[in-house]
Amino acid sequence: MKFCLFLGCNMPAIRPDAELGIRLSLQTLGVEVLDVEGASCCPAFGTFPSVDEDATLAINAWNLANAERKGADIAVQCGSCYSSLKLGRYKLIHGKLEEINQKYLSKVGMRYEGKTDVRHIIDIMHNVIGVDKIKNSLRYSLKGMKVVVQNPCHVLRPSKKVGFDDPENPIALKNIVKALGAEVPRYSRERQCCGGAGGFAKHDKKANLEFLKKKLDAMKDEVDPDCIAVSCITCLMHMDNAQAELRKLGMIDYEIPVFDYCQLLAICQGHDPSKVARIATTPRDAVISKILRNKI
Amino acid sequence: MIEGRDPNLVKELIELGGADLVKCYQCGTCIADCPTGFSETPLSAKRLIHIVKLGLREKLLEEETPWMCVTCGGCEERCPREAEPFEIVLAIRRWQCKEDDTFVPLALGEIFARGHTQNVLNPIRKEIGLPEIVTVANNHEAMQKFREMLKETNVYKRYSYIFREE
Repeated sequence: MKFCLFLGCNMPAIRPDAELGIRLSLQTLGVEVLDVEGASCCPAFGTFPSVDEDATLAINAWNLANAERKGADIAVQCGSCYSSLKLGRYKLIHGKLEEINQKYLSKVGMRYEGKTDVRHIIDIMHNVIGVDKIKNSLRYSLKGMKVVVQNPCHVLRPSKKVGFDDPENPIALKNIVKALGAEVPRYSRERQCCGGAGGFAKHDKKANLEFLKKKLDAMKDEVDPDCIAVSCITCLMHMDNAQAELRKLGMIDYEIPVFDYCQLLAICQGHDPSKVARIATTPRDAVISKILRNKI
Repeated sequence: MIEGRDPNLVKELIELGGADLVKCYQCGTCIADCPTGFSETPLSAKRLIHIVKLGLREKLLEEETPWMCVTCGGCEERCPREAEPFEIVLAIRRWQCKEDDTFVPLALGEIFARGHTQNVLNPIRKEIGLPEIVTVANNHEAMQKFREMLKETNVYKRYSYIFREE
């Protein structure tokens, strides 16, 4: 089994430890992780898609074609990259493919055949690798720990074009977190977006923080979890970093550590936490120590 | 034509990717669950579509709310008319860029210059044992091809002043 790991921009630029978590956990599960030579920005919705659709599809097709040359589907964690590439591919294979190939890719000797697909890490973990294989790869577990999940919006909606899970009651991320031994309690604002993507925070910081506070308060009051498991670089950075801002403003008085799912998985598989979970604003040491005491 | 109203505005938005806006019957499902509802100036796809249908060009150009979208897809999923509100929001952004260059995000230039919205060559990679980046950011030949392709786009031709080769 092999996948082309699509890095996007935020992960390699700001959280390369999350990238390491993904690589090592996939490799431990027997997946060959390929790098896509010549990959670029997906492109993100606030860039080319906000100016011109053809240019957007050309860049989508550029990235898809580069992965196609490796003969494997794309694996991606960033919700925005997943959505941009998946929706772009949908538009391409439903009509624009030949035009985009001819007008843009052919000018630089490239071509996208429409074969390479785009799959999110949650989809790969749950539906390709499966929970049993994940369980069998563990050396430590999250036994006795309560973990709440934050699904990336972009893997759920629009479900007809991007979905692999129930958009109103997603179970895949919960199941793969449970596979690590954790209890995954439901909380009322579980389906609420983190608010980190796009221009919301930039346009109205106060409202954006109040929006996230509602979600965090619901987690804290109803569940009091050990940590939050996400599977999107924006959810990871926003839910982690914004907690510091909320505390500074006196809007919250607690801390809930945030991990990318693959960081938790990689730690449970025995990989070095100081490498796979190196960068965080909200301290994660207590959770990591707890995991390392849970030897299987 | 009623003064201040341009019936062609709908057509312009349709050409820019907002084809399904004609399906909207103003029910407001798109704004019921929108995260930006926490703001005093929320993004309302319903309202923006109404502005387009009324042909109010100046009003539409004043709107900064299309740029607030968190791209969560809630409106896309729940629209009972499948009017694709998110695609309409993107189409409105494109229209604004066409009408007024100052709307064009400078991140386009970043992507042209280094292939990404930011510098992806983080020195921590080596410390934690990650392999070297092989994207356009670290591959001169691919970067040249990527730029050559972008030069074929209307965006490059129209806003060439944004694009610089580092």
